Amino acid sequence: MSASAIVVGASSSWSRAMLQISPYTFAAIGIAIAIGVSVLGAAWGIFITGSSLIGAAVKAPRITSKNLIRSETKDDHFVHFMPKISVIFCEAVAIYGVIVAIILQTKLENVPSSQIYAPESLRAGYAIFASGIIVGFANLVCGLCVGIIGSSCALSDAQNSSLFVKILVIENLVVHLGCLE
Amino acid sequence: MSSTFSGDETAPFFGFLGAAAALVFSCMGAAYGTAKSGVGVASMGVMRPELVMKSIVPVVMAGVLGIYGLIIAVIISTGINPKAKSYYLFDGYAHLSSGLACGLAGLSAGMAIGIVGDAGVRYFSCLIVRLYHCLIY
Repeated sequence: MSASAIVVGASSSWSRAMLQISPYTFAAIGIAIAIGVSVLGAAWGIFITGSSLIGAAVKAPRITSKNLIRSETKDDHFVHFMPKISVIFCEAVAIYGVIVAIILQTKLENVPSSQIYAPESLRAGYAIFASGIIVGFANLVCGLCVGIIGSSCALSDAQNSSLFVKILVIENLVVHLGCLE
Repeated sequence: MSSTFSGDETAPFFGFLGAAAALVFSCMGAAYGTAKSGVGVASMGVMRPELVMKSIVPVVMAGVLGIYGLIIAVIISTGINPKAKSYYLFDGYAHLSSGLACGLAGLSAGMAIGIVGDAGVRYFSCLIVRLYHCLIY
């Protein structure tokens, strides 16, 4: 512990203080944020989509459709299927956060206590922390975005079940991939 | 132990935080732009479904912002290599500020794309040609 008081480059008091924080702290907080905030984003997205989906399902009977009587049951299945894909995309956001948390957790190694405050270990701790923050908050906004688009998709699908709903779902997929990469 | 190491030990914290800022904020901008434009496309598509394919443009533009953030984050994180080159606090601060610059610019660009795209695709159903060019630029 006294070795870290004579470290290279510790020029000011805050840097000396920060060097005393174990890199395991940063790594653990990063992993927790990766999984926690991702699942928060996925849940938020599912909540936004689901509430609109259930509200639109009340209006499911195809009032403006031409084949009013015959294909009413078929259209009921159709109206519920497409916006459900948005819910599945939100779920995938949560799964992605879990996968990254598991991968980051395997990077935590048992370091001999003389080496915990070595520069390489510190750098590894900061790197895991930053990865966790990136994954967590990117998944948070991705889940929100997919949720909002899915909600508007559900509402417009209830009004006019044309081809364009599939386009909105494809656009959902595009933003999903964009945010996750 | 520290004789072969030169450079500051807390500097990678700021460097990696810069990469994180670049990615997270530009992702926020991309998500905001996509969501707001997508809501406009959905509302417009109820009336005019045939114009939906042309109105995907603001969504694509917003998605590209996330790619910009990713490129900057990768460049920053490959630049943090204390074995190859000593990484001082100067480098750490430089990477932090560049990440923040890219990220916050992407956030504001995404918000602009969202607001303009939402209004543009809603009025796109009325005026076909002129507003389409405004929408792209």
